[in-house]
Amino acid sequence: MGVDWNSFLEGFTTAMSFQNLIFIIIGGLLGTVVGMLPGLGPATAVAVLIPITFGMDSTSALILLGAIYYGAMYGGSRSSILINTPGDGSAIAATFDGYPMTRKGQAGQALTLSTLASLVGGFVAIIGFVFLAKPLASFALQFGPAEYFFLLVFTLSAVVSLSKGNMIKGFVSMVLGLLITTIGVDSQSGVYRYTFDIPHLSEGIDFLVVIIGIYAVGEVLYNILLINNEDQRIKDDVGRSWITKEQWTRSFWPMVRQAPVGFLVGILPGAGGSIASMISYSTEQQLSKKSDEFGKGAPEGVAAPESSNNAAAVGAFIPLLTMGIPGSGTTAVILGALIMLGLQPGPMLFQDQPDVAWTFINSLFIGNIVLVIMNILLIGFLIKILKTPPHVLYPIILVLAFIGTYTLGYSIIDFFILVIFGIIGLFMKILNIPTAPLILAVIIGHQMEQNYRMASVSYDGLWAMITASPIAILFAVLTVASIFLPALFNRLSRVKVDNKG
Amino acid sequence: MKSRMKFLSVIMLALVLVLSACGNGSAESDYPSKNVEIVAPATPGGGWDATARALQNVLDEEGLVEQNMNVVNKPGGGGEVGWQYLKGKDSHSLSINSSLVIANNLLGQSDLTYEDFTPLAVLATEWISVAVPSDSDIEDGVDMLERLKEDPKSLKIAVGPALGNNDHLSFVRVADEYGVDVSQLEFMIYESGGDVLTALLGGHVDVATLSISESLEQHLSGNLDIIATTADEPIPEDESIESWQDQGIDFTFPHWRGIMGPPDMTEEEIAYWDETFSEMVESEEWQKVLDNNGWQDYYMNSEETKAFLDEQNEMYEDLMKTAGLTE
Amino acid sequence: MEIIRFIVPSIILLISVIYLILTFNLPESKVGNPTAAMNYPLLIGFSLLGLSILYILSEIKDRKKIFEAYKIFSDRELTIKVIIVLVLCLGYTFIFERIGFLISTILFLGALLFLINGRRKWLMNIIVTILFSFISWYTFAELLSVSLP
Repeated sequence: MGVDWNSFLEGFTTAMSFQNLIFIIIGGLLGTVVGMLPGLGPATAVAVLIPITFGMDSTSALILLGAIYYGAMYGGSRSSILINTPGDGSAIAATFDGYPMTRKGQAGQALTLSTLASLVGGFVAIIGFVFLAKPLASFALQFGPAEYFFLLVFTLSAVVSLSKGNMIKGFVSMVLGLLITTIGVDSQSGVYRYTFDIPHLSEGIDFLVVIIGIYAVGEVLYNILLINNEDQRIKDDVGRSWITKEQWTRSFWPMVRQAPVGFLVGILPGAGGSIASMISYSTEQQLSKKSDEFGKGAPEGVAAPESSNNAAAVGAFIPLLTMGIPGSGTTAVILGALIMLGLQPGPMLFQDQPDVAWTFINSLFIGNIVLVIMNILLIGFLIKILKTPPHVLYPIILVLAFIGTYTLGYSIIDFFILVIFGIIGLFMKILNIPTAPLILAVIIGHQMEQNYRMASVSYDGLWAMITASPIAILFAVLTVASIFLPALFNRLSRVKVDNKG
Repeated sequence: MKSRMKFLSVIMLALVLVLSACGNGSAESDYPSKNVEIVAPATPGGGWDATARALQNVLDEEGLVEQNMNVVNKPGGGGEVGWQYLKGKDSHSLSINSSLVIANNLLGQSDLTYEDFTPLAVLATEWISVAVPSDSDIEDGVDMLERLKEDPKSLKIAVGPALGNNDHLSFVRVADEYGVDVSQLEFMIYESGGDVLTALLGGHVDVATLSISESLEQHLSGNLDIIATTADEPIPEDESIESWQDQGIDFTFPHWRGIMGPPDMTEEEIAYWDETFSEMVESEEWQKVLDNNGWQDYYMNSEETKAFLDEQNEMYEDLMKTAGLTE
Repeated sequence: MEIIRFIVPSIILLISVIYLILTFNLPESKVGNPTAAMNYPLLIGFSLLGLSILYILSEIKDRKKIFEAYKIFSDRELTIKVIIVLVLCLGYTFIFERIGFLISTILFLGALLFLINGRRKWLMNIIVTILFSFISWYTFAELLSVSLP
């Protein structure tokens, strides 16, 4: 696609107009605040804030919604890092190393790092958007059921392979997650599975309830058990907020190279931030020379997924704006809002209303800068949360978890599910069973089954599915590699050590 | 004696006061007497939620309802949760509905029937389209049916988000009327209309059945071809699109949205809403909502709606059997 | 060797068995292949069964190693507190829609704070409870117009 520089510049000036700049700031701030609450991720944040846009002109509404979405992405990782409570699937990977950094007394640095990584991810993706939107949109169409199935299998295997030396527990966790996703009505056949005649269960268990249960509730229960234990206490000293040179050099390349990964995954309808950040995290761990430090507060473990999920958030706008197809839950909600406002995103948008499209792209760019400034200013304020005595903080997190859950399904049945997963989360933590495979499986399990089922209608047998296209072959190979290569490397390095010894 | 008279008159007075107060309460002019609740049986951001909020907005802006109106989200079970909730409320709660209020019961997924509620209006409809990729060699709707008649498994058909929805049923209906063995058709069920579109554009399926508002934009830009619609009138954006009727098959199928109240609403209350909605559908604001969403006006008042629902119920019962969804 | 190390693996084994039984009893699909809805759950059920057995075997292999994961429950007072927290959560679930968001949240948060923060800091507990409940109610119900009971 030739970039229409005139429209681009025009869009830039429109986005910089005083009114739109105010919308970017308001949207970013609102999104950050709502996104920080446990359970309120970008999708919910945008959905509950839609009524604000009633009566606005469609360009400003799009800018505001985009800013809310962005703000919520930034906000979501704040709560992951500070209190180990992700607001959404895409913020989970930020808990892996972000929360350990907080425990080590480096909360400020973790927040700065994640903010900078988000900025890098956002920038790379916006540049990609400007130059490659159209060709990439048609690339995304290449993904049929077989390609999706192997992409999802690869993501799962990449995450399970993180649980080195603990493979059985990792697989148990993953299969339990997949099991949960079979609850509800089966799309392909209309059969009701394991719903026990509870209407609320017919749409399955919302993965966000599982996330809040395992992280927020489970974490609180665990911490209450250790409340008298001084070693477990988060260090009051929250450290400097600016990062050290070493942290920067360690994270710089992971940030830069994971941005395109996230961007590409984000473009695929239905994949999105959770998958992008998980893939980025696990590849960085494989690549790193200090992979032992992952999970214990490695700076690149924060930087890589944060850059990646923000890039994915930008990527998700490509199918939305060029084809009118939402690539994620959040963009689906935004699409609904835009239609209400009389703006039809789709192939005609860039032709009929290029000013709207380009203004929006520029607003993403400006929004990223505004959010970074805002978030760095907020750090000092945010880490005050950690100074709240835990005896008061934990009850409040629990109540927030319940409220967040209610806003997801408006049903108290979800409260029972929340408590059950809280208990499961507690025991997983005690027994050192990795939670990431379970969560990821819950997020993508349903899609995986449905794509598998559709693929088996289109192709005869597994082999035909694998050889369906180069993309399917690539992911099938990557899957095998992600499981066996680490084991192989492990063995090799052990041999080396043995030789030395 | 005198005191007794006094006592009696006080009682009388009190009685009169109480009675008149009651009388006032049930008088037509006073309904609605408190906040009106519109139940959207879906999460914020979904289609039903959008309808509910649009309704709230228009009624409020046009000043048609004086009381405050709130949208309440009760998602789950394809409307089931919201409608169960509505059943227990008084006449100040209304809910958005669609043909699912009939279909859920017929499919055995709900004990509620449309007769458990007070029908108030049908507001709008969408028409359903059948689309193929632009490089497909299928020429028109009849050509596609002809191929399916020969071999029902020859085409992969995309539909979303669930079996038994209108996109699916309307396709089954027209195929059945043409003599296709519909039990053999190969449907692929996608999560949403957007996913159906992606699959079709990527060439992963041969045919898709989806609402016109979802397919029209792509048709106009030449990425796919709409080969048939269930409409009873030409599509204003492109009048060359042929409906089934244009192709000689007598078949129309609306995908409507309406509104209903809890059971046992009084005549006055029903009359109030008839008046309100008939005024609302005339307003410019509502016209804008219809245009933005790609809906057509399909207004029916409460009486017409009741007759329409009876008719729809019969039609769906028939249809489910044909589709093999019920015995 | 301690028996308690087998508790969770056995529960997982049990889950997989129950799941398989439920799966075999799933209704047949009325459209297309009648067992289509069953095949994938069967795969999952048997994988979980196999994995739970592997899990038990690995625990048997490790039986000589000290198993101290459950030491965390050794502080009886705190364990009881966690159980009370869970009971309170269920209580909150039951009253939430009956008596409304505001009152039930005040009761729930108040009870939690008195339990965890201690009775001595009663003033702080009450202030936090009331302030937080009102602020969250205002934010959600009024500013975000989320329909709360």
